Amino acid sequence: MSLPMRKVTLTVNGKRHDPLDVPEGMMMIDVLHEMLGLTGSRLGCGIGICHACVVIWDKDDKTSEEVQTCITGVEFFDGKRIRTIEGIAETNDRGEVTLSPVQQAFLDKFSFQCGYCTPGFVNAATVLLERLKRSPVAKAEVEATVAAALEAHICRCTGYVRYYQAVRDVILATPGLTRDSA
Amino acid sequence: MSARRLLRWTAIAVVVVAAALAAFVSARLLSGKTGGPVQVVKASPDAVARGKYLAEAADCAACHTAPGGASYAGGLGMASGFGTIYATNITPDPDNGIGRWTSDDFWQALHDGVRRDGRQLYPAMPYTSYRGMTRADSDAIYAYLMQLRPMKVANRITELEFPYNIRLGMLGWNLLFLTDDLPATSTGSSAAWQRGRYLVDVLGHCGECHTPRGPLGEMELSRSLKGFALGRVAAPDITPAGLAARGWAPASLGTYLSRGIAGPNSAFADMHRVVVLSTRNLTADDIAAMTTYLLGDKPPAPAAETVGEGNQAGRTSYVALCAGCHGLDGKGIPNTIVGLRNNSTLRLADPRNLIVATLDGIGPQNFPHRMSLPGMPGFADKLTDEQAAALVNYLRAAWGGQKPDVRPSNVQALR
Amino acid sequence: MSGLSRRRLLRTSLLGGIAVYVVPLGSRAYAALVDDRLLTAPAVDNGSLKYRVDGRAKVTGGKVFARDIRARDMPHWPQQQAHALALRVTMADRVYAGFDLSMLGADLRPDRVVTAADLARDGFAFPDFYGTDMLLPEGKTPAYLGQAVALLIFHDFARFRFAKDKLQFNDAVIRYGAVTGPLQRDPWGAGRFVRVGGKTPADGDVFSSTRQAPLYISTYDKHRPAWPKPSRDGDLGEQAMFYAQAIDEELTRPPADWLVVTRDYATQSADTAALEPDNANGWYDAARQELHLVVPTQSPQEVAEGAAGMLANSRLGLKRLFLHPCFTVGYGSKDHSPLPYYGLIAAAYGDGRPVRLAYDRFEHFQAGLKRHQFSMRYRIGVDRKTGLMQAFQADIVSNGGGRANCSDALTMVAATSAASIYYFPKTDVAATAMSSRALDCGSARGYGALETLAATEIMADEVAGELGLDPIELRLRNVLKTGMKNAQGAVPVGQQRAETVLQKAAAHVLWTGRVARKQAYNAANPGRYYGVGFGCIQRRFGDGAQCSLAKVELSADGLITLAHTGTEIGTGTSSGQAVACARWLGRPADVLEMAATDWPELPVETSGNPHAMAQEEQDRLAKNPRWVPAFASASSASNSAYYFTHATQAAARVVFLHGLLPAAVAIWGREVKPEAARWRDGALTAEGFEPLPLARLASDAHARGLVTGATVHVFNRWQWAEAEFEIDGARVRLPVDALSLRRGAAKDWRVLDRRAVFLPPTRNNNAMVGYNTCVGTLVEIAVEASSGKVLVLNHHTILECGNMLVPELVSGQMQGCLASGIGLALHEEMPLYEDGPGNGTWNFNRYYLPRGGDVAVWQQTAEVLPPLSDSEPPKGMAEVVMIPIMAGIVNGIAHAIGHRFRSLPVTPERILKVLG
Repeated sequence: MSLPMRKVTLTVNGKRHDPLDVPEGMMMIDVLHEMLGLTGSRLGCGIGICHACVVIWDKDDKTSEEVQTCITGVEFFDGKRIRTIEGIAETNDRGEVTLSPVQQAFLDKFSFQCGYCTPGFVNAATVLLERLKRSPVAKAEVEATVAAALEAHICRCTGYVRYYQAVRDVILATPGLTRDSA
Repeated sequence: MSARRLLRWTAIAVVVVAAALAAFVSARLLSGKTGGPVQVVKASPDAVARGKYLAEAADCAACHTAPGGASYAGGLGMASGFGTIYATNITPDPDNGIGRWTSDDFWQALHDGVRRDGRQLYPAMPYTSYRGMTRADSDAIYAYLMQLRPMKVANRITELEFPYNIRLGMLGWNLLFLTDDLPATSTGSSAAWQRGRYLVDVLGHCGECHTPRGPLGEMELSRSLKGFALGRVAAPDITPAGLAARGWAPASLGTYLSRGIAGPNSAFADMHRVVVLSTRNLTADDIAAMTTYLLGDKPPAPAAETVGEGNQAGRTSYVALCAGCHGLDGKGIPNTIVGLRNNSTLRLADPRNLIVATLDGIGPQNFPHRMSLPGMPGFADKLTDEQAAALVNYLRAAWGGQKPDVRPSNVQALR
Repeated sequence: MSGLSRRRLLRTSLLGGIAVYVVPLGSRAYAALVDDRLLTAPAVDNGSLKYRVDGRAKVTGGKVFARDIRARDMPHWPQQQAHALALRVTMADRVYAGFDLSMLGADLRPDRVVTAADLARDGFAFPDFYGTDMLLPEGKTPAYLGQAVALLIFHDFARFRFAKDKLQFNDAVIRYGAVTGPLQRDPWGAGRFVRVGGKTPADGDVFSSTRQAPLYISTYDKHRPAWPKPSRDGDLGEQAMFYAQAIDEELTRPPADWLVVTRDYATQSADTAALEPDNANGWYDAARQELHLVVPTQSPQEVAEGAAGMLANSRLGLKRLFLHPCFTVGYGSKDHSPLPYYGLIAAAYGDGRPVRLAYDRFEHFQAGLKRHQFSMRYRIGVDRKTGLMQAFQADIVSNGGGRANCSDALTMVAATSAASIYYFPKTDVAATAMSSRALDCGSARGYGALETLAATEIMADEVAGELGLDPIELRLRNVLKTGMKNAQGAVPVGQQRAETVLQKAAAHVLWTGRVARKQAYNAANPGRYYGVGFGCIQRRFGDGAQCSLAKVELSADGLITLAHTGTEIGTGTSSGQAVACARWLGRPADVLEMAATDWPELPVETSGNPHAMAQEEQDRLAKNPRWVPAFASASSASNSAYYFTHATQAAARVVFLHGLLPAAVAIWGREVKPEAARWRDGALTAEGFEPLPLARLASDAHARGLVTGATVHVFNRWQWAEAEFEIDGARVRLPVDALSLRRGAAKDWRVLDRRAVFLPPTRNNNAMVGYNTCVGTLVEIAVEASSGKVLVLNHHTILECGNMLVPELVSGQMQGCLASGIGLALHEEMPLYEDGPGNGTWNFNRYYLPRGGDVAVWQQTAEVLPPLSDSEPPKGMAEVVMIPIMAGIVNGIAHAIGHRFRSLPVTPERILKVLG
């Protein structure tokens, strides 16, 4: 086979994958699914609309951002650190899993049904919480902030209400994410 | 909306006019009217329909309808370096709109840039182009507007700082720059060409964005339609030579004006609004007339498609960030993603729009006939100036037939 | 290959000579096969469910979907995953003349190409249900747009991916020959439901589907139904037409005090847009003559039977089929979907490698089952003075596209649902399921009723408007009350609660305040026009032949195991069934096995078509005590809450009555009536006796050899089958038609042959409507005149659904359905033919799905009517909630701008056209 190949180094969920040989032009979602066995980042549309495939890009400046893996080539992630849905919960040495506050809230509130879009919502909400930690938002602005952060994500089962409410409640219950006044 | 008309003219116009002030005692100012009877306009349905068509051709809504606001009730703000100018309510509301205006008053605003109260309009209102409108067309638009539902939406006060807020200053500006005829930008004599000239130069007021502006904010008529950056996204050169160099022919241009998408090209930024609000509504004959005028009775041959070699660093970024949608070969996806091969924006000599699109992205857009394009993410935080310049150079060289001469500083300047 | 040794743990059935093992991913059986667990034990808080049982896996990105599975996840499969794609035609008006892969060059050539010729040679053909030409042979005109012509198989992912890049959207791949025009074919089905009631709703019918018969025809004239000639004294069909003609004449020349309103309505072709695109992954092991298939399906039983039949008819000589149904989501599109069979074919030609056939969104749009497009002409005659509706005439045409699938049945459901919550003395509803070159349509959420009911509710407002009546008042005057006959002449089961829903809506502030709110809103928002609309429907759930098996077992330490034939489709079926055990066992099941298909505990036999069999045939077959009218139903038709729960609770009840209660009575030392016993905090108590924890009772039941496990089969044809069994020396009548028991710690199950059986009569098939759920939605909208957008400001939904199993799941279902209804009312739409999804270029850019900002996410409210009693069963409610908001939005737009839209969706372009 004579496809042009590239070497990329990825750090996924804290694990460094030393140079992977990938064909030029492979999308990140395909590398996650077919090479790394991480299938939680889901293919919904393949053209960057539905956001079921987003991962979290941890930037060097300590900020984080959602990136759609269905339209972003693996080359972009060369040398970068990302978190996928499989790396959001914490697993201790004994293999016990502690869900993140967002995951726990989605579970508590029955936020999802089929769960196909859930990884995208978890990652979007996680990025939002991390942003609010750096720059808190007025309590009165929380609902609008949640809506803006999740608006791009498509859900077909539960009509968004339980996702949005869960994220709002986590934000309001987490010290340091909100301010009392504008 | 971004600054559709960056009001550079205000700066110097005021200086000019400060000198001229004493010389001109405005008869018009003295003749200004307030109060007066509410006008009742009777017009046949046909006349109203014609007025509606003309109002769309003149794209009145682009400024006089604010996003989310009532139709023609004004409120759209146009930012300038000197403050913000707000388009006014032109519904027939007697107190907020033009309910007391006569067709003469309306004509005076379109033709001379003077409001019913005698005060000068700023040329954010393109009377500089509308001046060529026939009285009959002005009356038809007036008749249409006067039968709209009156909207009680107060006009926002234009927020220009002193001395730019002296409207009288525009008298001198008009004396210098207001002209009856805009020069033709193509060669032709056919009826279609004549009609097209009227649609492009007068109703469509294309030159207000596409013609470069001089130091006083005036249209530089010697360079009509040669392209200008009033706002963040530049209006490109739409002279016959400029269009042909980017591969435009009458058919593709007509498709673009009526549907907003033609081959690898889709309207974005302000031009998207122009298509959606204005040109999509035009008849096939009028679209053909516009393309006839824009390209001339004898259109120049469109430049052939070119494929070149791009730089490797740029290609790496292309593969990483762009190929997922636009394809490794730049062909895009039918009905979904525009192609980049010979895309008009890549074929512009000025890299500005390509840089801006790369940095800012383009939001999801709806087009006529239920067509929609998904949003394109911006890559401002994913590309350094060097990477962005390399990417833009790759695109220009590979599929635009342009020199890869963009420097990181060009990108930096647009961040 | 370690898993293979564990096969003895798996359960088998023999279909067409092939041993079929159905092993759902995430099941205990699968865990035994590959050491994996996806379902967590239910977390219980005070007897109610804290989390969905599949929640943890889903929220951590676990491999729960078939889409997530690769060869490497199947330890007993070869690890090299091959990938397949389908080539499809994008034109259906000319001859298909082969394909051209030259653009792939040598590098990207597929390793295997499968065409119709291969299938013919190897004896592969679709199960009958799906029709012919699984792959279209060269030289034929495609039956429909998007029809598959070939499968290309690549042994590695990279070449698959880059070859697909070159083939997809490439018009040069498929070659065409002469233009023939599209195929013209007869409809997939046509039927007519005529009723002329007696003097009052309580009197016997003069003529009705239930009393006489529905009219189904199979003769067509120029592809249109050839209805029989009307005759009062003719056969039943001719009689039906006689009464239909009389109704038509009365509506055409109505009495002076009648108002007759005639309207045409249309609903759009749509995609259910399940986010998981269709897929399958299969491995054909030629050495062992085995085929393994991982599939997302709402109907694993159907796939098991279909696949086994298909393989048995082939020249493959297969011995064993392993089917792994997964958690999935389809909203009907993965019920009786052809995709698993394409996956099977791909696997069969995998040259020993597992082959994955996974559509991307473009392909899913091009190949997934679609929602039927409907056109409806309705005529209603109403008495001007009383506002009472007198006659309803409907001509309903659905477009079923290129394959029959369920179009016929679905369209008959559409027809028999159309009268909704209203009582009409006379009805004539004719329905035709057209064939066309559009994509094949399936059982999309609502199953036909969504379309006809939405139209009925839009029309109700139009009739009210013509009469000058308040729309809810008109509905109240005409609402079907308990005991009244529906349009088929059947009396719906149970108390009819539409009236209550209507009364609640009429009193709600969104309705009572609508005039004042409109004034205030319009004044405050120039250019926007406020409106409030309402819709109220009732919708049957189930399909007239609902059946399932459930097994409830207690271990000696009180662990509850539930096995059920129902499949989890994302709606929470598994959670709901776990909880359903609590009524009799004090807490939800601890261990769940959903989608179980093999039941050695209770080997039942089935034959015949439960929808169509004659009474004599049923009577004859029922003499065999192991015979049941049908085996197990797919997860669809909103059936889990009511029908699946019936099986679970019937089994749990037997364990309670014949295991736990006797154990408790022995400890307490006194006889206690079952209804006096109560579960409190996981312990059984009665009349002040010592509370006995489940574990103690279970251990006691095990020790005493009492019943510790019950497996039941249940059947419902608009009423439950019942049978008598002898248990502990007493004759017991149970709402099941087959039963087996396990006693004490015994491993073996004993089947109790029924002593008598009371199957619902076959004439119930004519009624077609038995159980209803009712829902009404008030919706507050504003039309933005400049853009034509409709803003959904708020909505309030009133639902009755009996006792809720898991209230959080019910509310989540409602919220999801409301969003879907908003999508169909305002956004979702595709052309049927050449510009439609068959061209392979459709995705979510043009097919807009509602986002959070479109559904009044922070404002919306809902209420669920309290159940009539503690023992009222839970009722199916999923898809019904989609419907009233669709009509409510259209009615609200009429309130806002005075224009009544009659075709969906109401897009900005259509609004702008009206506003001028």
